[in-house]
Amino acid sequence: MEPPPPPAPQSPASQSPPISQLPRLEILTPTQLSTGNCFGPLQKCINSGPDVSFFLGSKAYKDIMTWITQLNHSLVPRSSVDTARPVSFPLTPNRKDWSEPVRKLRELLQKAEGLMGDAPPEENKNRRFGNGSCRVWHRLLQERVGGWLGELGEGWGERVKEELKGYFLGSWGDKGRLDYGTGHELSFLAFLGGLWKLGYFGEREGQEGQEAEREIVLGVVEPYLEVARKLITTYTLEPAGSHGVWGLDDHSFVPYIFGSAQFTRPISSTRLEPTPVEGSCPGAPKPASVTSKQTVEDYRKTNMYFGAIGFIYDVKKGPFWEHSPMLFDISGIKDGWGKINKGMVKMYRAEVLGKFPVVQHFGFGGLWRWEQDPELAREAGGQSVHVQSQPQSSGTGQGGVTGGTKAPWAMGGVTGGMGGPSGGQVSMPRPTDGGVVAPTGFPRGSGVPVPRGGTPNTGPLEQTSFPRGGGGMHDKVGGNQFSVTKAPWAKD
Amino acid sequence: MPGLPSSVDLDECISRLYKKELLAESVIEAICAKTKELLMRESNVVHVKAPVTVVGDIHGQFYDLIEIFRIGGFCPDTNYLFLGDYVDRGMFSVETISLLVCLKLRYPNRLHLIRGNHESRGVTQSYGFYTECSRKYGNANVWHHFTDMFDYLTLSVVIDDRIFCVHGGLSPSIHSIDQIKIIDRFREIPHEGPMADLVWSDPDPERDEFSLSPRGAGYTFGSQVVKKFLDVNKMDHILRAHQLCQEGYQTLFDNQLSTVWSAPNYCYRCGNMASVLEVGENGDRMFNVFDAAPENDQVKDMQMGQDKMGEQGQLPDYFL
Repeated sequence: MEPPPPPAPQSPASQSPPISQLPRLEILTPTQLSTGNCFGPLQKCINSGPDVSFFLGSKAYKDIMTWITQLNHSLVPRSSVDTARPVSFPLTPNRKDWSEPVRKLRELLQKAEGLMGDAPPEENKNRRFGNGSCRVWHRLLQERVGGWLGELGEGWGERVKEELKGYFLGSWGDKGRLDYGTGHELSFLAFLGGLWKLGYFGEREGQEGQEAEREIVLGVVEPYLEVARKLITTYTLEPAGSHGVWGLDDHSFVPYIFGSAQFTRPISSTRLEPTPVEGSCPGAPKPASVTSKQTVEDYRKTNMYFGAIGFIYDVKKGPFWEHSPMLFDISGIKDGWGKINKGMVKMYRAEVLGKFPVVQHFGFGGLWRWEQDPELAREAGGQSVHVQSQPQSSGTGQGGVTGGTKAPWAMGGVTGGMGGPSGGQVSMPRPTDGGVVAPTGFPRGSGVPVPRGGTPNTGPLEQTSFPRGGGGMHDKVGGNQFSVTKAPWAKD
Repeated sequence: MPGLPSSVDLDECISRLYKKELLAESVIEAICAKTKELLMRESNVVHVKAPVTVVGDIHGQFYDLIEIFRIGGFCPDTNYLFLGDYVDRGMFSVETISLLVCLKLRYPNRLHLIRGNHESRGVTQSYGFYTECSRKYGNANVWHHFTDMFDYLTLSVVIDDRIFCVHGGLSPSIHSIDQIKIIDRFREIPHEGPMADLVWSDPDPERDEFSLSPRGAGYTFGSQVVKKFLDVNKMDHILRAHQLCQEGYQTLFDNQLSTVWSAPNYCYRCGNMASVLEVGENGDRMFNVFDAAPENDQVKDMQMGQDKMGEQGQLPDYFL
């Protein structure tokens, strides 16, 4: 631990104004639970780009964002009336006195983890990449999860349990592709949020201390991430849709949100304040210290951000700045962990919730509803930046519903990502002279084929054989130099 | 903006690229224009003769591309067929595709480049190549030059009339390779249809027929599909890339299909081997397996990284 820097002086002007209430996920009333046939097996609703736009204006999206910001806020350190030092909320691996609902979920995770012992990785030289025994683990989980969930709560209807089961089973990667990514992580958050909506964590109205939320993150989300990491390494799961060095992390996202919240500037413990958007907690390591393997070792057991980076150090070879340049660049932020936290939440909305390849697998039902949210619909003004990078289904024009990007938790609009066109600042591929118009995003739907230049040679077969052996330094067709034909208007 | 250079010295470009130096934007523009002219004349099904060394996904792992040349022989002493996915995910996609395109121009009959699903505007916008071009050149012009050129890459190659080579796999719309020849390929990769399937599909050893791919594009295809395609076209093997393999390759369906993967320790972490497939004059196939290039492990000066990545202003916009 570094010596704690003096607490940042906070003039009243720089303090955020108190807020009247925190957005919190509503607990469903018995009437809501009993009405309608909306509960049941999860429905796949996102099949094309416009569906993502609809999703971004849906009740499900609004609730997911509320859930994440609610959990996020609970981890922010609180200034204490009793001591000079603020109270922060580190991970506590040895803690025993978890609340009953959290304790039961931890047991559930332990049981899921334990199944790995019954499905040891196979020795199969002909496997492609992921270890096929992971499918055995998935099968065992599927067989047993119904009973385990039944132990969690009584009085839930079968159809409600069916939904919870869907989210829980979707949390562990794809058993066909043997991969794992942020979509699976999202499914676990949906499982927990679903439990919240069912009142599993108690009727916590008015609990401004947010102890319940904090326990969920520290006591359930972190152990979930640990089990997921163990699955990844045990069965060599592929990074699902990884962006390689151009993304944040091959597999996960939420530990960067929650971990940066753990280190952010303290807020009042007695009155409601929004999540800080700058500043760090006294005593928190500097963001730049993620490049120090030793500092990461020191903090990975108590902070989720460092826990995630510790896993990167475990599995990646090579210099940190080279294999994880985005995390490296973020480590240069000077405005503290609050700034990082704010950026992470924004980025999550755009890069996870706003991306077709990720959310296409998300299922909907009675807990997370595929229904337009009136508030988001009202606030949705301009074109959402999310929409630009989405695929189009055949015959469907872009437009229609735009994603709602402003909501009670919104802190300004989502702006771009790594500067790509989906980031909203750079325009789409320039329309060239009679050129090729780019359909964007992932396939499905119609493209716009307009070849530029000559006619395709699809006629008689062209037998271009390789000359044998070497010595082709003077290939007839090739040649070292070529001259550039310039247009008459070109300048030298 | 400077005009195009009056001439381009390809050997000089190639020697610079072997040293991992970037070419000027105007040179890239000229090279891409010239490559388009060259590729335009290629059929959708290019026929070549063995011996040839076949390379799978590279994904910007430049050091490992150089390792391939060290192991398999440099151009033009060895004939090469690349199966696509040159860009995205890795740190050096610009250097990788620049080098491959210069080699293609210099030795057009000794090196062939097939289009992969990442040789597309849509995919490269999300998976790194767009960002990399913008960072290394300060604007997206180079990305436009390359992605415009990608529209001209061929879709498949047949070796000695016996081995069908493609990036992804088969399509339910394609029974005979004559049906590939009539695809209008000079375009962005569409979302569906035969052209999309060729670059997106995967084999599925658990199945016999086609089914929808969990990727959300293309299909998975099984043993009966493979057998029928080879019968109809009087060939004996399908060679493709597109999927990570722990051992660098995988052979399926009674040795009727191979996957070749050429990005070792993929994404700096997967611990996988890589391979290239050497097809001999008598048609025999030999996987030459290799590990990550030593350069990947060298402790590089961080300053070098910062120079490459620039200083401030490289933060994702979310954090500004």
